[in-house]
Amino acid sequence: MKRLVIAMTFIVAPVLRAQSTVAEADSVLARLIPLYGVSGSEAPVREVVKSLLPSWAKPEVDTAGNVWLRVGSGGAPVVYVAHMDEIGFKVSAILDDGSLQLDRQGGFFESLFEGQPALVHTPKGDVPGVFPTRDSIPRDPRELRHQPPLGRVEGDPLRSTLRVDVGTTSRAATEALGVTVGSTVTMPKSYQRLAGSRATGRSFDDRVGDAALILAVRHLDRSKLTHQVIFLWSTREEIGLEGARAAAHALGTAPARVYAIDTFVSSDAPLDPKNFADQPIGQGAVVRGLDNSSVTPPSLVDSVLTIATARHVPIQVGTTNGGNDGSMFVPFGVPDVALGWPLRYSHSPAEVIDLKDVASLADIVQATAEVR
Amino acid sequence: MHSSRAAVAAIVLSVAVTASLPSQSLDSLTLRFAGFTTVSGYEQPVMDSLLALLPGATRDRLGDVSVTLGSGAPRRLVSCPIDEAGYAVGGITADGYLTLHREGRITNPLFEQQLEGHRVIVFGASGPLPGVVGVRSVHLTRGRAANETPFTADDAYVDIGATSAGEAASLGVRMLSPVALEKRPHRYGDGVAAPAVGRHAACAALAAALLSHPKVMGSLVASFTVQGLQGGNPGLGSVTALQGPFADTLTATLIVKYRETAAETVVLSDVQALERRIVQWIGGAK
Repeated sequence: MKRLVIAMTFIVAPVLRAQSTVAEADSVLARLIPLYGVSGSEAPVREVVKSLLPSWAKPEVDTAGNVWLRVGSGGAPVVYVAHMDEIGFKVSAILDDGSLQLDRQGGFFESLFEGQPALVHTPKGDVPGVFPTRDSIPRDPRELRHQPPLGRVEGDPLRSTLRVDVGTTSRAATEALGVTVGSTVTMPKSYQRLAGSRATGRSFDDRVGDAALILAVRHLDRSKLTHQVIFLWSTREEIGLEGARAAAHALGTAPARVYAIDTFVSSDAPLDPKNFADQPIGQGAVVRGLDNSSVTPPSLVDSVLTIATARHVPIQVGTTNGGNDGSMFVPFGVPDVALGWPLRYSHSPAEVIDLKDVASLADIVQATAEVR
Repeated sequence: MHSSRAAVAAIVLSVAVTASLPSQSLDSLTLRFAGFTTVSGYEQPVMDSLLALLPGATRDRLGDVSVTLGSGAPRRLVSCPIDEAGYAVGGITADGYLTLHREGRITNPLFEQQLEGHRVIVFGASGPLPGVVGVRSVHLTRGRAANETPFTADDAYVDIGATSAGEAASLGVRMLSPVALEKRPHRYGDGVAAPAVGRHAACAALAAALLSHPKVMGSLVASFTVQGLQGGNPGLGSVTALQGPFADTLTATLIVKYRETAAETVVLSDVQALERRIVQWIGGAK
């Protein structure tokens, strides 16, 4: 291992190339964050991802909706995967009073949607509505503690107790707006810079990963590649890593390793316990050594740290909760190296990042791609 | 200032510096008023815009804005309370988070849940600043005991991106800076949703009625009152003490759906009906 580390250091040290900047990360995320792409409905994201790639890139789309970009040739491919989808709802029924019954897509606190504006995404365009508050609100807030949590329906783990009111009073009127069973539902969102190099928005998980791959591709020195690198923008991660599963089956045992580029959910926030995941935002990308779906082999953690040091890329190591797309490749004998960036307030409308971490993540993706 | 932060400022300031628009339709005036932020006791930027909007308007020492029309008896009052429940910065932590003190009476126990994990605007000394109220990361609750206590302002830490109290101060954040949910009025069906839209749309109806040059019976004082959600309703008290007594009074109010939430909703035809009723009442109809 030590020899490998030394060799990598020798190879990468002289190769200091253009690196991603906060401004570039900002400009890419400003394009990606306003897009709506609940799991299974990623088309708007897919089209913009393709449009943000350099002109030489020739991406392809597979039957699962994943975007593939193959660069270089020779040797076992190295795969980078980031997901395009976001959490939200799907319409499971249009009720007699015109309101919408919902199924959850992904895991989140449903109370964050209660009493908030809603958007129903249809082929005809977005239909505005609201998520009404629960039917019965006790006058004494202490009684709320004894109510069943929002979103739990006995015997149906996906069914939500939330509804959407689109301002109609009949099923026919709602259908006339273009809403159908299967339409996806979210709430309005936008990308907003905060103080310094920080920003807020919804679906940074995993549009930051998407952005990092785009930036890495833009800066990649293709002349240095002695192997094939596959960049994958995947679908349906939030509902069970489904796009990545399809890609892993397609590649089988061929890849040398897979880098899952996804959120590092950080406890760098006032309300989260800090006994793990305490990698602060603004201090660089994070090697997500251990999560709920995979363990990164320690030797590969070390190699990433070595490359980061050689390329002057800020990097942290941590452990957090959640799964990652790379775990779908592990049953084929492909080691999974999960890389992320620290995120506050995961899966909420108020996710917060530091753009320096996005640039750092893009740089470590580029750097690891350029070495064998 | 970043361009995106400038955009936020432009949105907020466009609300605060409204020119006189007598030809403006009531619907667009309602949307404009729905974008107001009027934390109880901190309404003055919006009152400045009302002074600009309403010819002959004056402001009393508490901040109420009034217009007097007509002359003689009877002397009557039509008013709308323009304030909303919100927050003031109660503290700034060493690592740059803001803590909150509630301002104004609320009745919906879900009101403070609206803050959790959502965007707010801090009205600092250097202009409006975007921020968010922190929420636990859902991933980090896995395998841990659930906390089902309803969210309250006591749990609220406003994250404006600052990394220290000094940085927050340099951005213009002060003790008592007003804080409220970001206002982006949301049209759906035949209604509009926004925090506190019921009070603001009722005030839009009153403003539209005044801008329509109504026929007045006797003399009329029309007031946009402050601090209506404070104990004793001191804004209305001030108007009554300074300009009363009144032979009759009317308070402009609207029925709302999803009261005291971010999706509080008024129906635009109800706003139009309220404007017509105010015009008729000013003319002497019961």
